[in-house]
Amino acid sequence: MIQLNNIEKYYANKGVKSYILRHVTTTIKQGEFVSIMGPSGAGKSTLLNIIGMLEEPTYGTYEFLGEDVTTLNERKRIELYRNHIGFVFQAYHLIDEMTVYENIEAPLLYKKIGSSERASRIADLLDRFNIVAKKDLFPNQLSGGQQQLVGIARALAAQPSIILADEPTGNLQSAQADEIMNLFKKLNQEDGITIIQVTHSEKNATYGNRILHIADGVVKDDVKVIV
Amino acid sequence: MFKLNLKIAWRNLWKNKGYTFINILGLSISLASCILIFIFVRYELSFDKNFENSERIYRVVSQWKYADGNEFYSQGVPRPLAPAMRNDFAQLEKVAAVQQGGGTLKIKAQNGRAEIKDFEMTFYLEPSFFEIFKYQWLSGNPNQSLTEPNAMVLTEKTANKYFGDWHKALGSTINLDNETNFKVTGVIKDTEPNTSFPLKVILSYASYLDKNSKSWGSVSSNSECYVLLQKGINIKDLDKPLAQFIKKYYVEEAPGKESNSFQSLGDIHFNDKYGNFNQATTSYKQLIGISIIGLFLLLTACINFINLATAQAISRSKEVGVRKVMGSRRKQLIWQFLSETTLITFIALLLACVFTELALPAMESLFGAEVTFGLFTHPIIFVFLLAMLVLVSFLAGLYPAMIMSGFSPALAIKNRVSSANAGGVGLRKTLVVIQFSITAILIVSTLVIIKQMSFIRDKSLGFDTKAVAIIELPSDSLSLLKYNSFKSQLLAKKGVKNVSFNGSAPSSSNNNETSFTYNSSKTADFQVNTKIADETYLETFGLSLVAGRSLSKSDTIKEFVVNETFLKKLNVKNPNEAIGKIVKLWGKSGPIVGVVKDFNNYSLHESISPIALFSFKDRASTLAIKLESKELLSTMTDIEKTFNNTFTNNVYDVSFLDDQIANYYHTEQIMGTLFKVFAGVVIFISFIGLFGLISFIATQRTREIAIRKVLGASNLELIRMLNSSFIWMVLIANMIAWPIGYILVKQWLSGFQYRIELNVWPFVIAMVISVLITLITVSIRSYKAAVANTIDALKYE
Repeated sequence: MIQLNNIEKYYANKGVKSYILRHVTTTIKQGEFVSIMGPSGAGKSTLLNIIGMLEEPTYGTYEFLGEDVTTLNERKRIELYRNHIGFVFQAYHLIDEMTVYENIEAPLLYKKIGSSERASRIADLLDRFNIVAKKDLFPNQLSGGQQQLVGIARALAAQPSIILADEPTGNLQSAQADEIMNLFKKLNQEDGITIIQVTHSEKNATYGNRILHIADGVVKDDVKVIV
Repeated sequence: MFKLNLKIAWRNLWKNKGYTFINILGLSISLASCILIFIFVRYELSFDKNFENSERIYRVVSQWKYADGNEFYSQGVPRPLAPAMRNDFAQLEKVAAVQQGGGTLKIKAQNGRAEIKDFEMTFYLEPSFFEIFKYQWLSGNPNQSLTEPNAMVLTEKTANKYFGDWHKALGSTINLDNETNFKVTGVIKDTEPNTSFPLKVILSYASYLDKNSKSWGSVSSNSECYVLLQKGINIKDLDKPLAQFIKKYYVEEAPGKESNSFQSLGDIHFNDKYGNFNQATTSYKQLIGISIIGLFLLLTACINFINLATAQAISRSKEVGVRKVMGSRRKQLIWQFLSETTLITFIALLLACVFTELALPAMESLFGAEVTFGLFTHPIIFVFLLAMLVLVSFLAGLYPAMIMSGFSPALAIKNRVSSANAGGVGLRKTLVVIQFSITAILIVSTLVIIKQMSFIRDKSLGFDTKAVAIIELPSDSLSLLKYNSFKSQLLAKKGVKNVSFNGSAPSSSNNNETSFTYNSSKTADFQVNTKIADETYLETFGLSLVAGRSLSKSDTIKEFVVNETFLKKLNVKNPNEAIGKIVKLWGKSGPIVGVVKDFNNYSLHESISPIALFSFKDRASTLAIKLESKELLSTMTDIEKTFNNTFTNNVYDVSFLDDQIANYYHTEQIMGTLFKVFAGVVIFISFIGLFGLISFIATQRTREIAIRKVLGASNLELIRMLNSSFIWMVLIANMIAWPIGYILVKQWLSGFQYRIELNVWPFVIAMVISVLITLITVSIRSYKAAVANTIDALKYE
């Protein structure tokens, strides 16, 4: 599904290149649950941003679903966002001015999904995540865990084939974090959604089935998690 | 999607209530000012546009060129011109002579209605006038109602006023000036106020006494002539025949070379070289000036908007990032932000309509015009509002929308969008500089206008204007006999100091010039301004002599008093030399007996004319009364009583000399008021815009301020830090404003023959005002930021 070839990312400053990523080559298949781990500043988030096409690599090629997406125009990229990729953020990034219901609805509006279909999908998601009662609340009226649930629900609303999560439990207490990670695992196993997460926590990494260890911009280790 | 955007927009506005309020208030005030200006400009531009064939209607006007380079213009034409034109020009479909007069109308008591006396302007019109200008006739028609002598046509309102109902007016008689009885033969519908023909009482031209005058040498501004071109004739085609026409008829010797030209109907209200019967011209220069002020206002409000919106952009960057990764196109985001701006503009526009409605009465009294905010009577206003909505939404909304929608999602999501990404601090600063330049220009202009106006008010005109009452007396032969007894009755009153019969006050809008000879039989190469006076004229108006004596009592032209300019123009150095020299004018000759010190006989826009004063009782129907200012009011009522007892058939019509003179500067007073008001509005808008901007900057720099505090900065140092960049901007703005303001006020002042010297003070004051406003605004807000709790700001977000 994802094919990264010799990805490099550096910033040139007065002729001196400071590397963030070097020679990253890897393949991620449909249905995998990959955790990207490493110390602060290792380049984890940059790698995830490149996979999510939020940043462009300086060098190397990136194929998504067999298509070269290294340099993609805005229109095509947005098509991918609408149909294939869902984002989950550490700081949730719900839109403060929208209710829970409207936050989940927003990607469906961009995807131009009919109103009855929209209603049923949102009802389904609210139901599944047990947040029906909260649908008319605004983000700042929810706890962090609940906000992240809404964030995931929003990412799932467009029925993506892959979810990119940047430290999804970084701001949460451990009980809430476990709940979120279990949810990811379930989504991965039952719905076959590919998940790539960046995490600091060894424990969170064990929920997935593969771990990429990064240090100083280089993939040091690529291990399979055996349950 | 649109509905949701609107909902989100509303919630966003609600969340930032303070800024929304600032935005909407500033915008609505400036929109209201723009609407008012538009209504006024539309009203002015609509003058004389309602007539059929208006593009084929022209007025014949006169101009004179003198040997000394002077030119003189008049709306009037010699009386024999109209019949001559009718005869000589085949290209003209219709020619109509118009004669303006005025007099006391008397309507006899009838059916329980008391007798009515009314002083009213009258117009002697030929029937062809109504073939050129199509009026709606309620009764009668021009060819029947206006052919006979002593026929009168009234407008509906006037007829209702005199007879209760216009139907009753038909066939009734109205007496004019105790002499002639006129029969009402027709009624026309009222004229709109936006016309240069304030018709109320129309008399048939056949009743005009001097209708068959053959004098091509005298021109009164009361005699006009209108023509209707044949279809398909271009006005340029008439140049040659007109030149021949002028050559054929102007054969008399005269110091000035007279000629005529055609002035289009559309020009009459806007050309101040010639006057019109409505006594009001509004030059295009004025309209453009006021439109520019409107544009300035709109610009400042838009700048506020852009500044606030881009400052606010940072706090909305996250939303932009999230929306983008959810699949929103840039175009969709732009529309979202634009719809927010449109919503704000729309609310502001509604508010502006309310403000407009509230300000309308004040504006009506300022302009003395019936302007209305009729959306339905004038659909163009509706179009204007719509255009404003679209224009402001785009002008103010597009740039912030482009900036905000352009945020890179990766940066936005990490809250790493800084003010540098948010549309260039440089641009925001430029906008603030522009805004303050406009403010400074308006402050400078306002100060100069105020100063010039007070200069005009206080400048000595060379005569006494205070507590001088002017009464127009009836001049029929019967009334003339009563003049002397009336005078002695007045002089007997305690509050009356002096009384003079004359043709016009030293400074008057009523002027007459004539050619003359001085000490020889050769006609002088300039004309002299004639003033009919009497033995008490100089005393009554407080004029002083530099040589000789005042006029002695006489009923006819016997001797002359001239002014200094008169001698200067004749190159007579010593005023005493002139005494005894013979002057001949109006066919009469006499010696100069006195030289009067120069006084301003026109408005201060113009220089002093050469003047000759002499007695001529039959034409001295203006009475000037110098009063004791302490007992002004009681004396005035007393005088009114005496007048009504003496001239029982006439209407008492009094005015004060200083009011008459103040009237010369009507336009300038309007401009002055407008500048004061709009400069105030612009200052206010800039002020609240600045407040909004500094608020955002303070919020944005909360972290930095907190860190600086931890590092030991005092509150004062923080306030100074936040102030400094703004003060610089204001100073730069003033540097830009000075030359522009200088050019503008210099231009305006050059319209005055007597004017203040431009000095540096208005400019310095403008700078001080703008710096002070900035200091106060920025300090208030930054003090709040400086004393805020440090810990709150430093907590991790």
